[in-house]
Amino acid sequence: MLQAINLSKKYKTKVVVKEVNVELFAGESVGLLGPNGAGKSTTISMLSSLVQPSSGDVLWNEKSIAKNPDPLRKALGVVPQEIALYPELSARENLAFFGRVNGLKGELLATRITEVLTKIGLLDRQKDIVKTFSGGMKRRLNIGSALLHKPSILIMDEPTVGIDPQSRAYILETVKQFVADGMTLLYTSHYMEEVEMLCDKIYIMDQGKIIAHGTKEELKELVSDNQTIELKTNLLTENFEKNLKEQFPQATFRIDEEILTISMSKSEEPLANIFAIAAASNVVITSAIVKVPSLEDVFLHLTGKALRD
Amino acid sequence: MLFSLIAKQMKMLIRNKQPLIILLVMPLVLITILSNALGSIMDGGEEAAIQANLLILDNSSWVQEEKEIKLFLEGEGVTGVALDALLTQFKSGDPVELLNSTVLAADEMKKYIAVEYKKEVDLKTARQDENIDGILNIPSNFRLNYIKFAYFNNPDFPSVSLYLNQDNEIRASIIDAVLTDWQSGYSQSAALLAANLSPQEIMSNVSSVEKVEQVLEASERKIPATIYYTVGMMVMFALYIPAFLAGFALQEVQWKVYDRILLAGVSPVLYTLSIFLTGTFVAFIQQAIMLSFGMLVLGIEWITLEGMGLIIISYSVFVGALSALITTLQFRTKTEGIANVFNGLFITVFSFLGGSFFNIRDISETLGKIGDFTPNGATMSAILSIQKGQDLSVIWPFMLAIYVLVVVCVLFAIVFFPRRGVAG
Repeated sequence: MLQAINLSKKYKTKVVVKEVNVELFAGESVGLLGPNGAGKSTTISMLSSLVQPSSGDVLWNEKSIAKNPDPLRKALGVVPQEIALYPELSARENLAFFGRVNGLKGELLATRITEVLTKIGLLDRQKDIVKTFSGGMKRRLNIGSALLHKPSILIMDEPTVGIDPQSRAYILETVKQFVADGMTLLYTSHYMEEVEMLCDKIYIMDQGKIIAHGTKEELKELVSDNQTIELKTNLLTENFEKNLKEQFPQATFRIDEEILTISMSKSEEPLANIFAIAAASNVVITSAIVKVPSLEDVFLHLTGKALRD
Repeated sequence: MLFSLIAKQMKMLIRNKQPLIILLVMPLVLITILSNALGSIMDGGEEAAIQANLLILDNSSWVQEEKEIKLFLEGEGVTGVALDALLTQFKSGDPVELLNSTVLAADEMKKYIAVEYKKEVDLKTARQDENIDGILNIPSNFRLNYIKFAYFNNPDFPSVSLYLNQDNEIRASIIDAVLTDWQSGYSQSAALLAANLSPQEIMSNVSSVEKVEQVLEASERKIPATIYYTVGMMVMFALYIPAFLAGFALQEVQWKVYDRILLAGVSPVLYTLSIFLTGTFVAFIQQAIMLSFGMLVLGIEWITLEGMGLIIISYSVFVGALSALITTLQFRTKTEGIANVFNGLFITVFSFLGGSFFNIRDISETLGKIGDFTPNGATMSAILSIQKGQDLSVIWPFMLAIYVLVVVCVLFAIVFFPRRGVAG
């Protein structure tokens, strides 16, 4: 079991991670969800022993990794957000290098390279130089490089950043397969649908702190009393928004690409009032959707802002 | 694992065009240009300096001594036709005459020794003349004494006196070699005559020229522009290796590949060691290519190869240690600033002081001494010293300077290397 206990990290005067507690049991798939700059990457750097915490501790099988990180490192496969590959080397040369530094050699190494290349769908491009690859192919190889030594825990830091939808779908399917095969996964993302799809347990992080955690269902329960209404109008005026806020003082409001999202208690019956306010404000509502709660709503509920703000 | 790290770094170097151009193409082009452009100036100057000036003070002559020789022969009971025949034989075997007309008059010898003959001169004044490298003083009764010694078994050796000006050891050695050879020839005259051999043959100019060439081989060779600039550019461009390796290492940190390497269980010490060994290996290969280019293309004959090997390995070790240090400092600062300053400032200053562009001692002996404490300057001085033909022992002070710098670089690299990742 991998545990973060009151983990904090401070760079000079700036605290980037504050007293984070995370637990990762064997076979679990855990998501760390949060906007950019929430402290997810620093947290996983501390969890994987690459960055020393300012305070707190990381335990691997109930032993601190502070003095001896080697047992954890052997069990760990880390896929960083960056393309951690050598662009001048071929796909196979990259895998061979990472395999060798992980202690593989000879036929075992060759077999593992072929297995990994097959798994990430790059067997036919194995001799090509990485700098000629597309962004999606590089991402796949980035993942493959962490798998050579058959790690028992895979930590993935935003593995789908900056790639096309097709490659993203391929990667998500691949990761889904890892989870189905029983691999322990810690997955960070600011895409709530990825975390929702892949993870059993989710930690929501904002401004360096874990603000909520639990299963998808448990987290959604936090907003079970809430409802989300998405409004499309011909014109969003300040007066209309002001009148809405006066009418629903407990609700949270967000405007994203001319869509007004209102999160409020289910106990209220808002639609009739909203239409009335719109009419009084000379605003025409072109569509109104009442949505079931999502993790996005959970984050909005907890922080008052969207994940991608 | 160490081999994998080194092999990977080598691949990164080989597959990037910029390092190949700077580490190999540029020095080879510069060696060729500078050797040709400055060859006529450097090589011409050295040529003139090798000719020694010999002053021969002959206080006698055959004409002056003939009367005494005749009296001596008559005293020995030689008269008439036999006397005339012997005088003719002795005159043709006069060692001074042989020295002047045969040994020193040969065209090949004139390249090495310029002779001035004088009858009467103040020896003390002549000795103070810096332009004279040697003075041969032939006493007034030399020829008679020689005849007594060579033909009549008189044990008194017919001595001459030789003064050598040690201000220039090579020129003094050339004169010494030729005159010792000449003396050796006439000192063996009695034995040679007994064996029916001619002393003239022993005192022939061929063996004397060979002696001069042996002296030149054994002492300082001239350093032509080809050797000077091959060595100068070689030591200078080896200093670009650390910045390249440190640059790749910083890229590894920025790309998070370094994190992957650490997570695989590679210790920072092993990683630094791999940079050190790669730097050493690349520097050795680079220098071997430069020296081979000098030999095969410019026709340089490298001498004292064991000494050359030792110097080049030592300098390669220094380049490796410097690679590790610059990598460490870049990891600390997380920028390429250190390598840029090193490439832009340090290499230029070191190369200037070390004499890669021209011999710094020509403008200041002090700067030259300071240059000998730079790693490239020490290496260059060591190589040029043994290429001049000096004894191998001359390189030890330079080697000491290099290894002190190696130790300093390694210690700093160990002290400053970030033990647990390099946080971005």
